[in-house]
Amino acid sequence: MSSKLAADKVSAWYGTKKAIEDISIEFEEHSTSAIIGPSGCGKSTLIRCLNRLHETVPKARVEGKVLLDGKDVYEDDPVAVRRHVGMVFQKANPFPTMSVYDNVAAALRLNGVRDRGTLDQVVKRSLEKAALWDEVKDSLGKPGVGLSGGQQQRLCIARALAPEPEVLLMDEPCSALDPIATAKIEDLIFDLKKDYTVVIVTHNMQQAARVADTTAFMYLGHLIERGATRELFERPKEALTESYITGRFG
Amino acid sequence: MPQAAERKALQKGLTKLNENMVTLAELSELAIRKAIDSLTRLDGDVAREVFTIDQEVYGLQLEIEHTCVDLIALHAPVARDLRTITTSLKITTDLDRIGRYAKDLGELTLQFSPSARGAEPELARIREMADRTIQMVDTAIDAFVKHDAESVRNIMQVDDVVDRMHDENFNELVRRMTEGSLKIETGARYILVNRYLERIADHAVNIGMRVVYMVTGDWLPRERAADRAKRIPK
Repeated sequence: MSSKLAADKVSAWYGTKKAIEDISIEFEEHSTSAIIGPSGCGKSTLIRCLNRLHETVPKARVEGKVLLDGKDVYEDDPVAVRRHVGMVFQKANPFPTMSVYDNVAAALRLNGVRDRGTLDQVVKRSLEKAALWDEVKDSLGKPGVGLSGGQQQRLCIARALAPEPEVLLMDEPCSALDPIATAKIEDLIFDLKKDYTVVIVTHNMQQAARVADTTAFMYLGHLIERGATRELFERPKEALTESYITGRFG
Repeated sequence: MPQAAERKALQKGLTKLNENMVTLAELSELAIRKAIDSLTRLDGDVAREVFTIDQEVYGLQLEIEHTCVDLIALHAPVARDLRTITTSLKITTDLDRIGRYAKDLGELTLQFSPSARGAEPELARIREMADRTIQMVDTAIDAFVKHDAESVRNIMQVDDVVDRMHDENFNELVRRMTEGSLKIETGARYILVNRYLERIADHAVNIGMRVVYMVTGDWLPRERAADRAKRIPK
């Protein structure tokens, strides 16, 4: 497998506070990578650096390189970067005034796509990929916020998939969902890696174990260990990782 | 991830598991020691004590299995916790088998005719092999209790010695039965004793290898005894 996305000595600050330090990590194409670690360890900051969302926070800054197919995203247009590197957040956040259809079509419309046939096609394809089509195909005109929590999160995934990104970043996508909705998202993640490179931040270690090919452990802004998920959970190399995953701290 | 309260609950279960494992190991070792003692002295009372110990071993093995399944189901353990639980689960089978062989040795003691009492030179050879075997079991169990991988890294090589003794004893028993200096019935029973001791040593190897995995996460490469024997000078 080749590296699709890579952080090369990335550090990030909120004002004067350094949140992550000198992180280098590669994400292989068509794989799912999990990032775990206690609250405040910098895992969300790291993935927000990957699609240049971090810099949207006032006084936040980034150093280092983020390479998408070998090209530094910090030398590209941030909007274009986010088209290639989509993101799904912890809390489902469909646009509150928009229908299911419009939520998915929003990114395309922002990019100037007006053709109804094209939009129909993309909305259907994105909802299918998000495993939501069968549940909403007869209510595309209804408000997105009228869906259940799990459906709203899959709607947000469909919205992120609509511009056909190459990488999908997921920041604790199941933390607000019940086990059944979580299982659906996890099934979906499993399918999505066939077409995308998925990076998921999660607090749920069993979730990382279930969905991720590789898992990285972060602590106090540092990348402590990264390896095949099975290896990391069965025989971690670092004592700090062992202590965290066995619940001895955190 | 287990939080503080969850960690306490898991730790409590692991502590109980460890205590039961230590007891099980001690009982299995006691069973084999008593079995050899009963055999060398042809003491039926001691042999019957082994039967009682074997029952206790079996009961404790079941309890440990239930504890392990509960810990996995309720706490989703990982890393060393997971390795400790899965290793315990596997080792209980080895310890139970050791207890079972001890019981079989006890039964053989009761079957030996009084005329066989201490007369055969085989008994001395068996005693020597039994000492080696018990030492292997002791080393393996001690390594488990102390989480000491280093002391069992060469346990397969010790087993080679026991295997060789087994082969030599077997050949000698067959030779003596063939020439008529050893009754077939007695010789056949010694062949069983010989075999049981060799199997007990194999279970000690299993325990040793699993202790290495439990402590380090690494699997010792398993090599067939016959292949090892080719490399060992006679």
